[in-house]
Amino acid sequence: MIAASLYIVVCSARNHVRLRLRRLREPRYLVGAVAGAAYLYFSFFARLRTARAGQRRRGGAGVPIALASAMRSGAAGLVGLFLFAVTVVAWLLPFESGLLAFSDAEMQFLFPAPVSRRALLVHRMIRSQIGLLFGGAIIGLAMPTASGYARLRSAIAMWLLLSTGKVYFTGISLARAKLASSDAGARRAAWLPVGILAAASVVVGAALYRAFAGGAPESMRDLLERTTAAIGAGPAGVVLWPFTALARPIFAAGPREYLAALAGSALVLAATSAWVLQTDAALEDAAAAAAARRASAAPAQASAYRRSRAGLTLAISGRPETVFAWKAATQTLRGVDGRNIFRLAAIVVALAAAATSLGRAGGARVMAGAGAFALASAAFLILMAPQVLRVDMRDDLRHLEVLKTWPVRAAAIVRGQLLWPGAILTAGAWAALALAEILAGASLLARVGLAWRLSAGAAVAILAPALVFAQLTIHNAAALLFPAWVPLGNQRPRGLDAMGQRLILLGATWLVLIVSIIPGAIGGAIVWLALTPVAGPAAVVPAALACAAAVAAEVLVATEALGPAYERLDLTAVERAE
Amino acid sequence: MALAVDHFSRTYQAASGTFTAVDDLSFAVAGGEIVGLIGPNGAGKTTTLRSIAGILKPTSGVIGIDGHDIVADPIDAKRRLAFMPDEPHLFEYLTVAEHLRLVARLYAVDDFDRRAAALLDELELTGKERSLPGELSRGMRQKVVIACGLVRHATTLLFDEPLTGLDPIGIRRMRNTIAARAQQGAAILLSSHLLHLVQEVCSRVIIMDRGRKIADGTFDELASRADLAAAGSNLEQIFFRVTGHGA
Repeated sequence: MIAASLYIVVCSARNHVRLRLRRLREPRYLVGAVAGAAYLYFSFFARLRTARAGQRRRGGAGVPIALASAMRSGAAGLVGLFLFAVTVVAWLLPFESGLLAFSDAEMQFLFPAPVSRRALLVHRMIRSQIGLLFGGAIIGLAMPTASGYARLRSAIAMWLLLSTGKVYFTGISLARAKLASSDAGARRAAWLPVGILAAASVVVGAALYRAFAGGAPESMRDLLERTTAAIGAGPAGVVLWPFTALARPIFAAGPREYLAALAGSALVLAATSAWVLQTDAALEDAAAAAAARRASAAPAQASAYRRSRAGLTLAISGRPETVFAWKAATQTLRGVDGRNIFRLAAIVVALAAAATSLGRAGGARVMAGAGAFALASAAFLILMAPQVLRVDMRDDLRHLEVLKTWPVRAAAIVRGQLLWPGAILTAGAWAALALAEILAGASLLARVGLAWRLSAGAAVAILAPALVFAQLTIHNAAALLFPAWVPLGNQRPRGLDAMGQRLILLGATWLVLIVSIIPGAIGGAIVWLALTPVAGPAAVVPAALACAAAVAAEVLVATEALGPAYERLDLTAVERAE
Repeated sequence: MALAVDHFSRTYQAASGTFTAVDDLSFAVAGGEIVGLIGPNGAGKTTTLRSIAGILKPTSGVIGIDGHDIVADPIDAKRRLAFMPDEPHLFEYLTVAEHLRLVARLYAVDDFDRRAAALLDELELTGKERSLPGELSRGMRQKVVIACGLVRHATTLLFDEPLTGLDPIGIRRMRNTIAARAQQGAAILLSSHLLHLVQEVCSRVIIMDRGRKIADGTFDELASRADLAAAGSNLEQIFFRVTGHGA
């Protein structure tokens, strides 16, 4: 079976590369590839060369940056603690590693084949390696170090870490499925890791409590030092060893220490793999469930939506754009898993309660933290979420065969696709901004004067929809102009192998966004300069209005201009996408 | 003519170069006529139907729906058209009723409630209005696609393998449905590998092979041509003969 798996991996990778190279015959993909190569060069290799030159001048030894050196002693422990926390959260939230996401072809060819389910899992582990290696390489390249050797070390360490995570999350999926099993033995086996993790949580929690029971930390350094001391020794150190072992290679100083750390990390991966492979019975069930889904000929996404959620009623007449907003709203409504929101809320409440328990100062910190969180959320919703929320053309490309038959102007389709995600992100950003304003007294914003705080808040609220819609326009333009770069529907790139492509798309989006904002920014600056002597801080509000109006006009023009691109978009271009 | 295809060609860019899927195809379908489009795999049938529906852009030639060019005047052309593909493409997050309502909104169907109720009954979808596509069998999903096509006032109906996934009762009902729409004046172009269905339902047959039209006429006309059929041939025998696969 391993030979067959390797054959599949090699053939898939070879054909994948061939497909990519063949696409370079088309100018738009060639331009994309050149842009990607340039991005990689200027982001990593050029920086590496510059840093090396700087080190030569300073006589440096090519070690990781000073911060990493300073924190090296405790960093592995802190990262280990973080990994432990992620592990606990993973049991509460249904993370999926994708390792059991067998493709249709795998189910059709491998499930009826005379191979054990365990061999199938090994096959999936082998298949995931290309993505994991690529992910490790990308993270290695992104490491803030000037040394190629340090990057290679980091890439290997990250590969082991990512591999362990992938296998462990699969184990969680398998065990979770058995938690309520009617078979007492299977149920006990599934609850065992939960019990171990709960006990470990108590040990780690007690160590941290003892460390901070004497008083709240006075500074970030104090916080880190106390945490490191609490988890670095005693029972907590033992409990956290597997997690720390995974992080240790990243921070190892010399080759000998690195190799020793790498051995520990590999040991954890081996133990995790053994644990997952021994849950053969659960794997049988998971594989059988996948086969049953296939036999029912139901779409793979069927389980992702819930009929029980009442949809919105579509008016029988109106502008065509609103049809798309209704469609996307229904999709969002039926796709959101309320249980996840509840679990997430429970975690947030638990963390808040833990922080508040530290005393009155803790309560104030919670308020300050919530304010900072609200600000960060607003920034995320405005600047990053348009990349993530894909209920627009990026999702609807898979329905292009249907959309193309509709008697609707192409520009109206493009505009309609933007409406719902733009509206929901704007509403979210406004809510977050309002919360940040309410909590401003306790947060970092307390240092800012009231007039400035309110004016800036209003200005950001005005700019938010402009920025959100501008980004959505850019993303949808990319989907129309480069459909093969856009994953369709609930397709997700296997593992991390498309990380580089996403980085390129994100960079390009921001670049285009910056360029598209320049006219509005110039207009806004003129308004601000003109009104500041009269209105003071409040001048930023009309300035933001001017900027937002300019961006809105650009969005309207862009959606009209994208109409012909939609008309030209050939179904075969989308069908060839992965 | 409700549907007029004039010197239509469609090429694809393949790894080995340009591939011509349909080459200089011309035909017309009048209102009330049911035309069968048959041919072996790769003959260009689906490409033709997809191009008529506006999904694929013709490389050359003109496709008109009630006089409206599908490329130059796509909105008016598409408003008169209903395409029912062989593979049911549905939005997995919309229920059956919501699909029908969506189509009614897009095509400005005035008497939607009455038409929808009648169609759900005709296609045996009553009781499934609140089902998501993932909860339906393939045959049921195919019926939903057909219901979406029939709920509007289309003058030209395109069926690509309309009987795929249907049970025998569904097949019989679908045959009756297609015939009824033709009697109401719709122009129907139907692609199928079920030659007995084509012979039974269609008033005219177009046979395609390797992207070209190689025969066009009523079954009697084709059967009477000495170069196409021996005496007493049925459509299957004619098909094998003209496509060069022997009888």
